[in-house]
Amino acid sequence: MKPLNFVALLLFFAGLVWVFTLSESAVRQIQKTFYSAISPIISKGGESEAFANDFVKEVEHSIDLEEKLKQATSERDRFRLIAARAWTLEAENNELRAALDFTKKTKFDVVPARVVRRQPQMWGKTIEINRGSEKGLVNSMCVLASNGGLVGRIQLAGNEVSSVLLITDEVSQVSARVEGSTEVGIIVGRRTTYGEAPRLRLRYISKNAILRKGMKVFTDGRGDLFPADIPIGTIEDFEVGAVDGEAEIIPSVDFTNLQTVFVIADSSGD
Amino acid sequence: MFLYPISLIGLLLLSCILQQFLPAVSAWYDARLLILPLVVLCGSATVSTAGMLTLAFLGGFLWDAQQVLLVDQGDEVVYHSTTDSLKFGYSIILYTMMGFLMQGIRPVFQAGKWYLSAALTGVGIFLYLFVEYLLRGFIIGGFSLDNGMIEQIGATSVLTMLASPLVFWLLFRIADLCGHTISYQKH
Repeated sequence: MKPLNFVALLLFFAGLVWVFTLSESAVRQIQKTFYSAISPIISKGGESEAFANDFVKEVEHSIDLEEKLKQATSERDRFRLIAARAWTLEAENNELRAALDFTKKTKFDVVPARVVRRQPQMWGKTIEINRGSEKGLVNSMCVLASNGGLVGRIQLAGNEVSSVLLITDEVSQVSARVEGSTEVGIIVGRRTTYGEAPRLRLRYISKNAILRKGMKVFTDGRGDLFPADIPIGTIEDFEVGAVDGEAEIIPSVDFTNLQTVFVIADSSGD
Repeated sequence: MFLYPISLIGLLLLSCILQQFLPAVSAWYDARLLILPLVVLCGSATVSTAGMLTLAFLGGFLWDAQQVLLVDQGDEVVYHSTTDSLKFGYSIILYTMMGFLMQGIRPVFQAGKWYLSAALTGVGIFLYLFVEYLLRGFIIGGFSLDNGMIEQIGATSVLTMLASPLVFWLLFRIADLCGHTISYQKH
């Protein structure tokens, strides 16, 4: 073995030992530093992602449009563009109206934020929002959608952007209760592949539980992570195992169309 | 002597930035172009073992800084079953294994058959993602292997592999500028 390679190998192993013995707080600090450094890039990256998605949609619709365009006059095209813009604005208006409405109605002190990037990771289910520690956001803060449903919690708060761990991720855990019953359990994300609708599992419930399809599931406030009574979803199916029962839950939040979210800055409700 | 390795590290940092602009292709199995691992793989074929180890370490470190999920655990009484995620640094080991894979056919690469190395990047990315998926399943629990997952990994590998000639071309250009010899025998 060449001396240089031997030295490199020694240094590599030393580095590996250092990395694997890093404390959790040190790893968090590394991630926070990294995240803060790339914050401006993430915002731009989100724009490119939105552009790419729009482009794909345009391509998907182009075959249908081709036939129509043959017959359409340039004036009609112009009006179509205006109409398309109006629809976008209307959708955006509805979203903002709902957001404004939510901010007024909610009992929590919330910080509104826009989703700048969806699913930046290969496996982990996260989103990135355009608010960070500069707006007072810290790790583990609870995140809601404009319909009041539970989205997740802040996993990493950068200076200008934050990463939100969705409740649909497998490592996410939410203590929950089923409305109209005494059942409490833990909600975890279910592994899904592309194109599959996100699903949740309510674990550790009694095997003798009387649960029906359509029953609502809320946070129960235990365990210090989430405030109580936030809607999570509805029961789709209930399976009885050897030791306990498990229910399939449809989330109350449409995770594919999340645009505005609300971070609970103060959950005391005062 | 060190100009090329330093440029390679610069390229690695640039790829880390570029990665932020590359979304999943929702129209094709949610495939992704994994540019950072690709630079590590392609770069590994052009440097010595020492250079490859450096590249793998830095690449894995940067990758984990943005990919590893650290989740605050709540009250142990309520959340009695803790959910672990992959340990920070695991990518360094996987990148090193991929790097050794690329180094394995370095003589062929040096003989001018860069396209074999390009094809191997696809295999390397597939193995990397597959092992990562298995590790994730092993640590979190609940192993499942379905067609959707294989298609997603396969599409990501193909998409990334298709970009490898571009990265190799870039590496040759950088090597020329730095006066570094990759030992590529031009025919």
